[in-house]
This record gives sequence, C-alpha cells and structure tokens, in this order.
Amino acid sequence: MRQPARTIGGSPSLLQCGPALAGSILLGTLLVLAVLAPILAPHDARTLFEPLLPPSPQHPLGTDDIGHDLLSELFYGARFSLSIGLLSALLSTTIGTLLGLLAGYKERLGYAIMRIVDVFLAVPRFPLIVLMAAFLQPGAGTLLFFFTLFGWPRAARLVRAQVLSERNKGYVEAAQLIGARDRRIMARHLLPSAAPIALPRFIAEFQHVIVAESGLSFLGLGNPLVKSWGLMLSFAFRYPSIMVTDLWVRWALPPGLCITLVVLSLALLSYALEEQAIPHLRAWKSSATLLSQAAYATRSERPRQKPGREGLAP
Amino acid sequence: MGTKAIQTLLTLLTLVSLNFFLPRLMPGDPLSYLDNNDPGTDSAMLLTEEMRSQLLAYYGLDRPLGEQYLRYLGGLLRGDMGWSIYYNAPVWNVLWGRLKWTLLLVGTATAIYVTLGSVLGAFSAWKRGTPADAGLLVATFALGSWPSFFLAMLLVIAFGLHWQLFPVGGARSPYLLDASRWEKARDVAYHMVLPVAALVLTQFSGVYMLMRNAMLGVLGEDYIRTAYGKGAPERRVLFQHALPNALLPVVTMIAMRLGFVLMGSMFVEVVFAYPGMGTMIREACMARDYPMLQGAFLITMLFIMACNLAADLLYGFLDPRVGPSGAREVRSA
Repeated sequence: MRQPARTIGGSPSLLQCGPALAGSILLGTLLVLAVLAPILAPHDARTLFEPLLPPSPQHPLGTDDIGHDLLSELFYGARFSLSIGLLSALLSTTIGTLLGLLAGYKERLGYAIMRIVDVFLAVPRFPLIVLMAAFLQPGAGTLLFFFTLFGWPRAARLVRAQVLSERNKGYVEAAQLIGARDRRIMARHLLPSAAPIALPRFIAEFQHVIVAESGLSFLGLGNPLVKSWGLMLSFAFRYPSIMVTDLWVRWALPPGLCITLVVLSLALLSYALEEQAIPHLRAWKSSATLLSQAAYATRSERPRQKPGREGLAP
Repeated sequence: MGTKAIQTLLTLLTLVSLNFFLPRLMPGDPLSYLDNNDPGTDSAMLLTEEMRSQLLAYYGLDRPLGEQYLRYLGGLLRGDMGWSIYYNAPVWNVLWGRLKWTLLLVGTATAIYVTLGSVLGAFSAWKRGTPADAGLLVATFALGSWPSFFLAMLLVIAFGLHWQLFPVGGARSPYLLDASRWEKARDVAYHMVLPVAALVLTQFSGVYMLMRNAMLGVLGEDYIRTAYGKGAPERRVLFQHALPNALLPVVTMIAMRLGFVLMGSMFVEVVFAYPGMGTMIREACMARDYPMLQGAFLITMLFIMACNLAADLLYGFLDPRVGPSGAREVRSA
C-alpha cells in the first residue's frame, strides 16, 4: 500500500501494454475498414433499393427508409467521420505545434501569439461551432476549417510551455553558440522535445472532433448529402417507429457503436501514452500534477533519488 | 489583473459580435420560414411583397447592418435580448422558462456524477493495481466513450420501452394539475431519472480519472508517509490527510466541466424531448429564429465563461501556493 504511486522503469506490465495494444488494434481495424470501403461495402452507398428491407444476403443489415443499404452506409460513413477527425486533428496539431515553437522561441512574437491563444481558449468552442453550423450549414471544408480554427490554440499553448522550459537548457545554448540558425534550432532541437506533448494533444483533438461532428449531424446541423455515422444516427432517430421495432438494432446501433469504439480506442491510446512517458510527461500531465509547481518537482525527482537514499541509509 | 479584465472584456465583445454577425451570414431570412415560397417549409402562410417589407421593417431587419448592431448592443446593455420571432414572446421569458429545466437536469447530474466519480476514483487509487482498480478503470473507459445522445437512445430503448420502468420523454405527466405538490415533485423526479442517468454515465469518467490520478499523486507525498509513520489508522490517513488534498483539482474541475455538461444535456434533452434549452435551441435552429438563438448562445457562453472564471479564482483561493491563474494549466490540457 505504501510504495510510491507508480514505479518508473522496469518491464511494462500487461496493464501498461494492454491498453496500447487494444487501442491500436481497434483503431487500425476501423481505419482499414474505412479505407477499403469501396471493396468491402456490398453496394454503393447512394444506390437506392426498396425501403426498409429486412436483412438478407444482399443486404446484411437491410435498408433504411429511403432504400439505402445500411451496411454500405456504415462503411462509407466511416470514411467521412474518420477522415474529418484525422485531418482536423492533424492540421490543428501541426499549426499549433509550429506556432507554439515560434511563440516559445521568439519572445516578442510569442507574446502576440499567446494573446490570440488566450482569446480563443476563453471562448467555449463547442457552442460556437454549433452556432456556426446552425447558421452556415457547412460542407466538409467549412467544418474542417472551424474545427482547426478552434483546435490549434490548445496545442500551441502546451508546446510553448514545453519550449520555454527547454529553451535555456545547455544543448540549445550549445547549438546557439556554434552558430546554428534559429530555424535549425527549432526544427532539430526543440521540435523533438515538443513531440511527446503534441501527440497526446493530437489524440485528444481527434476524439473531440469525432464526437463533435457526430453530435452536429445528430442535431441535424451536418451536411445531409455526406454519409457519416452521425448522420445515420440522426436519420434513424428521426424515423418515427425506430425504437419500438427492432429496426434500431440494424440502423442506429452499428453507427453508434462505431463512434463509441473510435473514442474508446483513442482513450486507450492516450492512457497508454500517459503511462509510458511518465518521467518526461509528468511535469506536463495536468491530471496527476495539479498540486503545485513545487510539488511536481519533488515528486518527479523522488523516484530517481530514492534508490540512492536507500543505498546510503545503511 | 488589469490585463485580465481587458482581455475578458475583449473576449466578451468578440463573442457578442460573432453572435450578431453569424446569423446574418446564413442563407435565407427568418421570414422564409413563415413564407410558402421557400421550398422545404410547409407553412400555410403566403406573404405578399408588401407584407414582407412591413414585417422586416417591424423587426428592424431592413436597417443597415451597422445600425442593427448598435441597437443590439444597446439592447443587451439594458437587459433586452430581443423578441423571439418563432415563439412570439420576449427572448428572455422563453429562455428562462426553458433554462429552469436544463439547470435542474444539469445540477442534479453534476451532484451525482461528482460524488460518484470522486468516491470511486479515490477508492481506485487506494486499491491501485488490484483487480478492483483495474475493473473500475476498464468500466470507466467503456462508459466514458459513449456519445451522450447514443447512450440516451439506448437508455430509452432499454428502460423506457423494453422494460417500461421509466417514462420515455418529457419532464412531467400531463393532466396532473390537481395533484398535490408532493406528487408533482415525484412526477418530475421520475421523468428525470433517465436523462440524468445518461448525463451521469457520460460525464463520470472525467472526474473519476482526475480523482484517481490526484489521489495517486497525494498518496506518494511525504506527509502521507508521516501520517502512516505516526501510526494513524488507514481510514484516518485516507479521509483526513489524503482526500481533502486530492479533492482540490476536482473542485475546480467541476466548475470548468459545467459547460461541457450543459452541452451534453443539449443532446440528451433532444433525445428525451425534455423541455429545456437544448430542445429549444434545436427548434430555434429549425425556425431560424435569430434573436432566440442569439439569446440562447449568449447565455450558454456567458455561463461557461463565468464557470471558467470561477474555476480560476477558486483554484487560487483553495491552493494559495499557485497564483490566481493556476487553473489555466488544467483547462488547456
């Protein structure tokens, strides 16, 4: 009961490896299904058949109220839902990391960037995206733009904090002394130190966008012409007798479960990342280290001191 | 502090301006919903050109944009949020009628998920590495991944339709006018069970993880070792020494998460046809009721910003070691 909270180093136990493995397998499978949609899907998602067909060999999940094959819709829906999540997470993390690097390294420019970041962070983003969607009835491009617009400041702030703590370390000063240019220092020396912070941010962003996009579609604010899981759910929910017949098992359950599985796999991955990268991420990880700056320092140093202390004691 | 105040004001102004200009970028206008000429609406009203311009003039929609904007700002300063076109009532009256239900839902759910999350999180940290801890972790991951509207649908299907234990929607039974106060309260509570359950189940994982991590951190502190060392019983160490300190981040998290819960309740309300803000926002979207939407979002965003500010201040107050802006690090993660 009284050993230190977590052991650092040592061989990773199943509790540490399991989540990463499960998460990557799950996410990988879903991504492969999305990429292979044209091959795997029994029909084109836009072809119309007879409405509300029961399951049959031609239509393993049957058809919806206007005759779309539900299984094909599921496959093609994966493409949109996953790609918008992946793309906007990628864009906002990249932009955020670059601006965070600049903001951390160049003091004056950094001040200006951080004021912008502060404003963005003070604005609750989901209500604003709902408002925007309600008014602009966005296509995929606009949606991507807005998710990125509200996504980058979080990454920028975290990366800047990291760069600030690295900037005055010996290796950076050494690089400056031998005359390396700013661009090289940022790209070769500071960027690698920021990567462990950008990656969890990417995962969190992916999660947020997947859920937000499906939520928007569910509220009827998505683009009705694009196939996505949220939209499938939305149409299913609006069908009058969806819940009293077993239609929901074929129509609402699969897309809902898919969204859940994506979020779950990302949660597992980020948990595994947090656990794996302890010594480095400790100072960054908010949840475990809220107490104070001073508390983090002592806590993250203790495991390293401990063997020495015990060695000296006898 | 001065820059902080200016920044808050700037953010507010940005929000209010966005709130004003976004609806005006939208295709169509509020009258096209009333008007039969617009495809996609099924209103039986036909507007002549004359009636249209008269209505536009009546609502001030024919004025230049700048003037409309200044009028809007002036109105807000006087507490006037405008007149809802769809509900035909002052925005604030409609809003307040709906907000009550949402606050009831969000308040109840928050009380439950925070209690449950912190108790189980603390327990999990205390029993770290045991099957109980692992089981709770897995269960939390599994539960925390459901989108709230999907979980709400499943709850309706299982408990509302299949087992018929709880009502499938609404906030109270109709025709209960002459019931006693007690019976009415019971009826409202009965209708709240499923929506609150949906919110609790989706929100609970955040508090649980935070509490577990905070508790794990605290349990490694020197003063805990001291407490054990001086022979304090396990229970006392946990509840008197560890718990209050681990609760610190949770307290601020509650304030910050209220905004998330509010958005989550929007989806849940839609599924349960609960007469709160969420369903109202959806109706207002459909009807393109600008003033109503603007009012709803202004209130939502003010509420969330107030929560964030409260979290900032509360954190500085609860933990004097950190400056007043300590909680920001929490939020940005």
